Amino acid sequence: MRFATLVIRNVVRQRLRTVLTVLGIGIGVTTVIALGAITSGLKASSVEMAHTGGADFMVAQKGAADLSFSTLPASDIASVAATPGVSAAWGVLIHISRVASVPYFFTYGVEPTSFDQLDLTIARGRVPRGSRELLIGVKVAGDLGLDVGSTVVVEHTTLEVVGVFEGGGRYQQLGGYTLLATAQALARSGDTVTVVYVKATEGTDPAAVQRRIEAGSDRFATIATAAEYGEVDQGLEVLDAANLAISMLAVVIGAIGVMNTMIMSVFERTREIGVLRAVGWSGWRVVRMILGESIALCLVATVVGVVAGFSVTRAVLLVPTIGSLLSPSYPAGLFVRAVVIAVVVAIVGALYPALRAVRLSPLEALRHE
Amino acid sequence: MSDGPLVVAEGLVKRYEGGRISALAGMSLTVEAGEFVGIIGPSGCGKSTLLHLLAALERPDEGALRVAGHDLTSHRALNHYRAHHVGIVFQLHNLLPNLTAAENVQIPMFETGLSPRARRVRAEELLELVGISHRLGNRPTELSGGERQRVAIARALANRPPLVLADEPTGSLDSKAGGQVLDLLEEVRVAHGVTLVLVTHDPGIAARADRLVEMLDGRAVSSPRAG
Repeated sequence: MRFATLVIRNVVRQRLRTVLTVLGIGIGVTTVIALGAITSGLKASSVEMAHTGGADFMVAQKGAADLSFSTLPASDIASVAATPGVSAAWGVLIHISRVASVPYFFTYGVEPTSFDQLDLTIARGRVPRGSRELLIGVKVAGDLGLDVGSTVVVEHTTLEVVGVFEGGGRYQQLGGYTLLATAQALARSGDTVTVVYVKATEGTDPAAVQRRIEAGSDRFATIATAAEYGEVDQGLEVLDAANLAISMLAVVIGAIGVMNTMIMSVFERTREIGVLRAVGWSGWRVVRMILGESIALCLVATVVGVVAGFSVTRAVLLVPTIGSLLSPSYPAGLFVRAVVIAVVVAIVGALYPALRAVRLSPLEALRHE
Repeated sequence: MSDGPLVVAEGLVKRYEGGRISALAGMSLTVEAGEFVGIIGPSGCGKSTLLHLLAALERPDEGALRVAGHDLTSHRALNHYRAHHVGIVFQLHNLLPNLTAAENVQIPMFETGLSPRARRVRAEELLELVGISHRLGNRPTELSGGERQRVAIARALANRPPLVLADEPTGSLDSKAGGQVLDLLEEVRVAHGVTLVLVTHDPGIAARADRLVEMLDGRAVSSPRAG
């Protein structure tokens, strides 16, 4: 018999209690995985958004509470473009509104000359040339049953679909492109854009260009990474903080659950532990056995929690309004975090019962009824 | 292991409850290697306490105690002594209920560094020795009282200790099973050359020992030859 076999035998001895403990910790791990996957997905999407059309980064309004609230005068496009090291700069006005059954329809307004920068594949039709024309994403066109020649009402304004595009990112496929002036009229935003996309000159370090642009005006915040996105859009930081808080809560609740289980388990086996000590087991071996049981319990709970986390995330994405906006991502770090949480919970939860078990003299333990 | 007696106990004193109860009050005992010594006396005379001191389950308050060359009054690694130098057979078998007979016998071997395979082979040999090789895979609840004590004896011999202590080993058995367990203890003592110290309050059982030590009020009152 291996030591691990003994540990497993002890874990499966009280099946119902083991199952309930696994479920308790598993729920915590599920929360960590589901929230982590959604947060990671949002970060990935934000990075993707910052590099729309092959841009190296985007420029937004510094201090805006949320990226959708970023407002830059359209004249800033020229000043950004004039910055040394900038190869191309184009402004985009992003307006989000409900369109028919689509709760979040993204209308992107760009200058007619900027369509070449967008890295879109025109599947049918053409790009907008006049006002009230729309180049729509193939996905949302399918959702709304639109095609070239159809019309769609955005903010009480009827737009004609003149083209359907493929490619672009998730958020681009959630709406369509129109001329900047049309988008500004829909959004009643005046002559402004939401962000300015920038391509750096070949051979130039984009980070250096970012620093130059930010140094040129205290109104500019440049975004190339998820961290930089978080500085502009507080939503990600709030989600990150919530994720951390829930993870910590999961650790505390899990540790209490494991401790409760292990205390009961050790108490019930006091006499057996006395026998182990009487036949020569060292205190350290007894501690290893109890810690091993706790770690085995928590690792099983991690597997259960990870599987449930996947399932819960998929279930959440079945809700159309959420599913259209979120694309979860499962980086390796997420699973490492789940395992670390499980091991920490196992050790914290088992430490007191294990020390209590070895502090008891073998004779006291043998006399336990 | 040193030459001379296997067990040398002189003036052992053990008190409980802050000294109010004196379980041993100057107990002395010498046991030669290979001897079968029966400890007899009425309930509360200190028999079990003496056995617990010999098993290093607790330390004496006063006196000197050397077993197999180890000074048990000051020895720091008592678990090492318990693992390698003494085997215990309790009145109640004290087997782990979730393990099979063979697995129970392997429990003391975890402290020896034997491989899992070597532990299994040794356990099978021991269970054959005690006559229940056909019950290797049975759990304690599937064994009779006599069979459980046989497993407990096999477990006590697991690490080839020079000294085996038995605390009322037939106390929970009927007379037939009890007799068989005593026969087995004597057989393994002779076959393995171990020293056996058996505590009992039953004069009939004690009479099977080479030597009897009678205890009263925490000390030996006589040490006649048995039979």
